[in-house]
Amino acid sequence: MNALRAEFRKVLTTRLVLWLLGFSVAFTALNVLLMVYLVPTNGRIVDSEQLLQIPAYVNSIVASCANASVFVLIIGIIGMTGEYRHMTITATFLASPRRAPVMVAKAVAYAVIGAIFGIVNFIISLSLATITLAGKEHAAIVASESLQTLGGVILGFAIYAILGVAVGSLIRNQVAALIIALVFVFLIQPLLSTFVDWTTAWLPGGALDAAMNMTYRQGEATSGLLSAWAGGLLLIGYAIVLGAIASITTLKRDIT
Amino acid sequence: MRGNSVGLEVRSLTKVFGRGDGVRAVSDLSFRVEPGRVTGFLGPNGSGKTTTLRCLLGLVSPTSGETLVGGHPYRELHDPLHTVGAALEASGFHPGRTARGHLSVVAASAGIPRTRVTEVLELVGLAEAGHRKVGGFSLGMRQRLSLATALLGDPAVLILDEPANGLDPEGIAWLRNFLRSLAAEGRTVLVSSHVLSEVQLTVDDVVIIRKGELVSYGSLDALSSGMNARVIVRSPDSIRLAESISQQASTSVTTDTTGALLITGMTAAEIGALAFAQNVMLHELHTEEHDLEAVFLELTSSEGGGA
Repeated sequence: MNALRAEFRKVLTTRLVLWLLGFSVAFTALNVLLMVYLVPTNGRIVDSEQLLQIPAYVNSIVASCANASVFVLIIGIIGMTGEYRHMTITATFLASPRRAPVMVAKAVAYAVIGAIFGIVNFIISLSLATITLAGKEHAAIVASESLQTLGGVILGFAIYAILGVAVGSLIRNQVAALIIALVFVFLIQPLLSTFVDWTTAWLPGGALDAAMNMTYRQGEATSGLLSAWAGGLLLIGYAIVLGAIASITTLKRDIT
Repeated sequence: MRGNSVGLEVRSLTKVFGRGDGVRAVSDLSFRVEPGRVTGFLGPNGSGKTTTLRCLLGLVSPTSGETLVGGHPYRELHDPLHTVGAALEASGFHPGRTARGHLSVVAASAGIPRTRVTEVLELVGLAEAGHRKVGGFSLGMRQRLSLATALLGDPAVLILDEPANGLDPEGIAWLRNFLRSLAAEGRTVLVSSHVLSEVQLTVDDVVIIRKGELVSYGSLDALSSGMNARVIVRSPDSIRLAESISQQASTSVTTDTTGALLITGMTAAEIGALAFAQNVMLHELHTEEHDLEAVFLELTSSEGGGA
């Protein structure tokens, strides 16, 4: 419990978490506004009025806070690599020389922080979607669908934060870890999805979309997504596998 | 004196970094650090001091041998921060955290109340700077914060890596008195340094290593008594005095450029008695301070022999 309290205090004694929460909220707001007013269409001509009549599209506007998951990934990476960058990992392991509980505490703390990010961003996207859609003719925002999105965002963002911690303990160089993670999210994952269609559902991004009911991207329904439950389970699988690899390497590592 | 004294022990410690023929940082090193004394852990930069300390603290796994704190490996201690306080590097702080914030994180990890944070800040003279971000701290202030971190758990053992780095002369004097008082309370204090003169006035015992191997281990007095002390004498009748001294067994007399006699093999008292017996007037009679730094350099230079 002490280790867990220390992890929360680490996060709360720097400003980083507030900055990233601010950025994530702004990013979510931008996503909602784009989907309501501009309707990103990937170059095709689409009748935006028509899209707003599709229930799944309207729900995806609410679920567009999924895109803020990258900020949660970043906070996990910075939180973990920061320990190595500033050598605070020494103080951490001096206080808790048994390292496994430290790794568990870190994962739990960041999962909670990720979940809070998820809830805040969901509230932003839901309320902003409700407000901006009010003046337009649109399919109704279905409460049960939104509830599923809320469940998905809590689980998904918690998992993304854990993935960030895991990536950060495998790649201890902060800049390298951030670049690799961002290249994966913004380049490799979209390219794989575009050119190898079936991978979409099995990548972390596709699993998160499935769990959150985010079924429309670029004004087009994403094909072949897993069910919400399967998506959530796949995310948990990613966290367990990556977290286990990260823990095993961290337990043995010499801290010099 | 404290009730439970805790000693440190390094037993045949060897650490090789990397695979196969990696870098041999520490080689079959053994020594003990006793409670109630300040022990200097000395050696040039890169001689394996920090690696040894990190092994003692469970941060680095030995290739062979073991390190014990009060008879147990550090990783098996029940309440590590209340047993050992360590200040390893001045750089172990998040620059965006305040001094108080840093200490409160460490305090939380060991269940230490926040009131103790205020106490240690005052103890090291950082009470005014507690709300400031560590990123703006001078090296000396970081050293003090490191020390404050080490003291949080009121530990029986203090392990300090180069604590005098970056301290001004006033700070060094303060640190010396502080460490002496901690040892006087019965605590075990281990202080590393690459300069003997820096800790000469602080330590009781020394452990000197070179290239990861032990070259000298024992009390500081034992180290200095191994040397030939020189006595410096000035006299208006120095020629007669020199003659009678050189008649004594196993003495040597030389004259320096100012005309003073430099004598080895006799103590100042013996020389004074001799001069008195011979009716030789003396203007000056004193024993040269041991040049421990020269001994240290000789022990640790790459050509220097073992001890």
